Amino acid sequence: MTAPAVGRYRIGVDIGGTFTDGTLVDSTTGRVTTSKVLSTPEDPAVGFISAVQKLLEMDDGIAPEAVEHVVHATTVATNAIIEGKTAKTAFITTEGFRDMLEIARQIRPSLYDLQFEKPRPLVPRQLCFEVPERLDAKGQVVTPLDDRAVAEVVDRIAESGVEAVAVCLLHSYRNPDHEQRVGRALRAKLPNVIISLSSDVVPEFREYLRASTTVINASVSPIVSTYLASISEKLRASGIGSELLVMQSNGGVYTAEAASRSPVFMVESGPAAGAVAAAALGSSLGYPNVISFDMGGTTAKASLIRNGKPHVTKDYSVGGVGQSGTGAFGGASGYPIRTTVVDLVEVGAGGGSIAWVDSGGALRVGPHSAGADPGPVCYGLGGTEPTITDANLVLGRLDPDYFAGGEMSLDLKAARVAIRTNCAEPLELSIEDAAHGIIEIANTAMVNALRLVSVQRGHDPRDFMLIGFGGAGPAHAIRIAEQTGIPRVLIPLGPGTASALGLLVTDMRMEGSATLIVRSDEVEPSRIASEFERLESAGKEAHRTAASASGDPVFERVVEMRYWGQSFELSVPAPDRPTIDDAWMSELIESFHEAHETAYGFRANDEPVELVNLRLTTVGKIARPRMRKLDATGTDASVASKGERPVYFAEDAANSGGAHSAGGARVAEIKGFVQTTVYDRAKLPAGAIFSGPAIVEEPDSTTVVHPAWSVTVDDYGNLTIEHSSNAHRSRKVAERR
Amino acid sequence: MTSPDASGTTGTSGVSGIDPIKFEVIRNALTQATEEMAIALRRSAYSTNVKTRQDFSCAFFDRDLRSVAQAFTQPVHLGSFVRHVPIAVTRYGPENLGPGDMILSNDPYGGGVHLNDISLIGPVYRQDRLVGYTACLAHHVDVGGGAPASIGAFREVFQEGIIIPPIKLVAAGEIDDDLFRLVLAQIRSKRETAGDFRAQIASNRTGAIRINEIIDRYGLDEFDRYIDEILEYTDRRTRAEVAKLPHGVFSAKGFVDNDGFTDDVVKLEVKITIDDDGVQFDTTGSDPQRRAPVNSTFAQTFSACAYALRALMDRDLPVNDGFYRYVKVHAPEGTVTNCVHPAPVVGGWETHVRLNDLIFEALAPAMPDVICAGTKAMQCHAGFGGENPDTGEYYCFLETLAGGFGGRSTSDGPDAVQCHGQNTENAPVEETEINYPVRITRYELVPDSEGPGEFRGGLGLRRDYMFPEETTFTVLADRDRAGPHGLFGGEPGSTSTYTLIRNNPGAGAKEERLSSKTTLQLQPGDVISYRTSGGGGYGNPFARDPERVQNDVMQRKVSVKRARERYGVEIDPASGEVNKSATRELRSGR
Repeated sequence: MTAPAVGRYRIGVDIGGTFTDGTLVDSTTGRVTTSKVLSTPEDPAVGFISAVQKLLEMDDGIAPEAVEHVVHATTVATNAIIEGKTAKTAFITTEGFRDMLEIARQIRPSLYDLQFEKPRPLVPRQLCFEVPERLDAKGQVVTPLDDRAVAEVVDRIAESGVEAVAVCLLHSYRNPDHEQRVGRALRAKLPNVIISLSSDVVPEFREYLRASTTVINASVSPIVSTYLASISEKLRASGIGSELLVMQSNGGVYTAEAASRSPVFMVESGPAAGAVAAAALGSSLGYPNVISFDMGGTTAKASLIRNGKPHVTKDYSVGGVGQSGTGAFGGASGYPIRTTVVDLVEVGAGGGSIAWVDSGGALRVGPHSAGADPGPVCYGLGGTEPTITDANLVLGRLDPDYFAGGEMSLDLKAARVAIRTNCAEPLELSIEDAAHGIIEIANTAMVNALRLVSVQRGHDPRDFMLIGFGGAGPAHAIRIAEQTGIPRVLIPLGPGTASALGLLVTDMRMEGSATLIVRSDEVEPSRIASEFERLESAGKEAHRTAASASGDPVFERVVEMRYWGQSFELSVPAPDRPTIDDAWMSELIESFHEAHETAYGFRANDEPVELVNLRLTTVGKIARPRMRKLDATGTDASVASKGERPVYFAEDAANSGGAHSAGGARVAEIKGFVQTTVYDRAKLPAGAIFSGPAIVEEPDSTTVVHPAWSVTVDDYGNLTIEHSSNAHRSRKVAERR
Repeated sequence: MTSPDASGTTGTSGVSGIDPIKFEVIRNALTQATEEMAIALRRSAYSTNVKTRQDFSCAFFDRDLRSVAQAFTQPVHLGSFVRHVPIAVTRYGPENLGPGDMILSNDPYGGGVHLNDISLIGPVYRQDRLVGYTACLAHHVDVGGGAPASIGAFREVFQEGIIIPPIKLVAAGEIDDDLFRLVLAQIRSKRETAGDFRAQIASNRTGAIRINEIIDRYGLDEFDRYIDEILEYTDRRTRAEVAKLPHGVFSAKGFVDNDGFTDDVVKLEVKITIDDDGVQFDTTGSDPQRRAPVNSTFAQTFSACAYALRALMDRDLPVNDGFYRYVKVHAPEGTVTNCVHPAPVVGGWETHVRLNDLIFEALAPAMPDVICAGTKAMQCHAGFGGENPDTGEYYCFLETLAGGFGGRSTSDGPDAVQCHGQNTENAPVEETEINYPVRITRYELVPDSEGPGEFRGGLGLRRDYMFPEETTFTVLADRDRAGPHGLFGGEPGSTSTYTLIRNNPGAGAKEERLSSKTTLQLQPGDVISYRTSGGGGYGNPFARDPERVQNDVMQRKVSVKRARERYGVEIDPASGEVNKSATRELRSGR
């Protein structure tokens, strides 16, 4: 057994639908160990702890006291909402507005569907209560709070036996006094019930969005706190007494205690980890601007990372059907939350997505998925509808005898039959052309997702590197990069578990915000300074209580702004100046005009600008684990060759040209099977160089390198894959220097 | 999942060397371009009606002015806008439009709808070649005329606001400042409206950039060829969907409750003929047009028919020229379904949405599993304006309120939701109070407003506005005489009421019923209260599962008394339990 070094190891645990992934990093050597156990949906804590124990038992065994901290990503909050298993919760609001949750936004989630349903409110109408009180839009009292009426409501709530209460009074973002008084009355009478006040959770205007966020916070809180308490207890029983941290939707972590109190911040805990992993990997290799592309069994997720930080959004809905998040009505089928969430675009294109021909004769892929059960046809578990995985198999991109590292063999014949029957024959195509079409159409959906997170936010994808991971990501990443004009792709080592590694490379983040809603020409800079100071001292206090954060906290200040009269704010980083004065304000306003021009193509210099919210994030830095270098070095990749096999490629001028054609090397047209070298990733030395077409296999994933792309293995085992025209250009630049 | 059924249809690969993969890529990219137009418009707009309520739409047309792709926002526009854009461009003359130009138009008698809905249309050029048009329509909160928010009961279209024939607002990328000032001079809410126009320009520009990126990749010839195929594909799928509809002739009669000047109901009639070639809608028999705001232009009537047909088809069917060509509308000129100059049109959408309900009512016997009972089927506008004491500017505000949806064959109608072609969001109370001198004092469901049925209608809602300042307020709505119809033994939903509660402390809170189409001057402290209709019920209410009735009573959506009288279910008020024997007795013989 290695010498127990206190604080030497960090553990990350990511619970997915099928598997629970554990990752352990030795922060002194950078060595990464992973474990995979079946998830235990009835009590996810069971799977959690067995993944941890498996990690501790690996190698020569690790002393539990040498674990510095454990970071967890969990979907327990989301699942409670989706499955309708939130805690029994009451809602209190201003008299006259009891039905805020029932009415919601008064819209239908789908336009042409006469059978639509609105999402069922998380609090039934009989548990929605009103109290007489009213503030105006400036926060001044119009009707004083009636304390006797409050007491009566509290009594009725006490009788109802709820586990949580959410309070959202009108204009409380401006003046929290009434809400706080209601909160005190509730806590006095109901000491064991969770109380969430909207002015604490998300003090921002627009009552339904604030109420929805507060209700979600309250109604998942009993579930999340019980769950985290159970995990903490099991960890202690295993001898791990160190801090439990939880991944938030915004990509930072917070303590289990903070998560129990404010679980609405971790609703999208799981997906955030992948973006964080990509951001950390990119930054550590000197690429602060990357697009994260995470493709699994049922969906693919794209997110944009700029200056090392994932792009975040506050237009988000949880538990909706179809696309969640930012589409015009995408959120109308779910429950909106106004917390910061890593801005992911998720499309229904994963390895299990089903291909079909519609009644107009068009080939379609998804949104239906064969999932894990029955799974793709080639799994031989009863699936009959062809999937993306089946198409990859037919094209020779997957090896039927080396799937999951050879633990499972795939039925190529069955996959061919399914594609022939369901796609090729109706479209009068060859099986290969149909299979290739399935891949191309799925790629289109993913290209759209990439464009949504880049072009639509005003960023040119050609300025980014693509990081492809998830089990299916490496098979598609290069083709997608080609179609979006992205010149460089990175495939990390162990793409299937890269996301769990994200848990171990992030910082503590605690958010605070204050609503201003004031014109820039009507606000004293000193008011902004004092609001930021207030948020800063709250952040410092939270930082002080977190054991894992080292050193002094760092503060990120953002001002959410718009032209006076607009409704959608743009987040503008606060100017980096020592004092908040008139010069600070001028710089801020100029930054806003620029951001507006980038986003919408125009600026209005003469229009008044409004400061809506101040947002301060307290960042407690957590030291990054060292990355481990490969032992073997050498430029020759042939040592890792497993031989050749025919793989289907179709690269026509239009496709392989695209953004890369200008001045770059043209690839001859290819259409059909090409003898392709297959490499064993584990044997590739650092520094190895080879060109596409090529296949790189490892137990949890297969990378497809298209012709016209060339691969370099870096010191840490990552594959850096560049388009030849780009390599050509890079060389030219080098020569000129 | 739609079953892969290619029998009887031609695969894309069979037609003139179309590559099915390229086809799907281009089709998605075009739709994405219009979605991005919608996002740019929404996020940079100023008025609550556009930025929050999403009362706008965006589309791409090819160079032959055929509708190709649309952003899914408001179906009412998407049906009317596809008629207006070609007419406006043709009138202006495509030869008079060059790169960077955009034309503005809202002329109801030039293919448009009511004056508030202003279209901005820009040609998309590839170097010097025209490749199509991007167009967006926004409901502007004010276009001048006789009352703030430009809604109200008037005798002629001239009183309703500024009429804009197609004019070039943007020339070679620059706004024509003279024209812009002329337009804004007619408008009360100048600052917001100017901001919304800028947002429309941003939307069209975004669309043009995306379209050019598609052409970058595929070349113009392929782009054109695949647009043809996208329309043909939609045509094939629409034809297959039409074939699945019940063939025959179906008809119904109904009415709009009044016209704003007289109490005479406005009669509507629709006859629907479905055969393999498409669906013919005929409104012959509808009343002659009125000198009152209930007249629908042809584009609005077309939109009602297109929406109804689309709602009967596969949810995944694209909406473009390949679909619209199957919608055949005969609406006699000079009727309330196809008015002629100079009839007022501002309330034409009220007639339009009632036609929606009527079309569904006509088809219900043939499609009982698909059709819902009557919905609120009115736009239900609330508009007001005056001087904002905080800014000294003239402000205007407009919103439309939801109501109950009709019951369906296996489910209750949802409560408080927009219906049919209308899907605008509510204005948040806090946002409204921050920006405008008004206080919303009540916003809630109306219990007992549902149409009873085995599957009940949804509840209507109540919204009360209190004005601390002098204000001009307009109600432009309907349904104050008859509630939404029930189906198959279901009963109608409640009627709507619009009331004024004067700030007269001596006289108590006396409610004064208002007409559904009226403009009035309010004194400080006055309150206007809307209570909108519940949806119609579906099936016999005495056959409703007593547990569902119990649940409604527990949620206080339905009273104990109403449960007994209208559903034959006795609920014990103390325990909340169903009294089974009393219920059996109430229901015996029903």
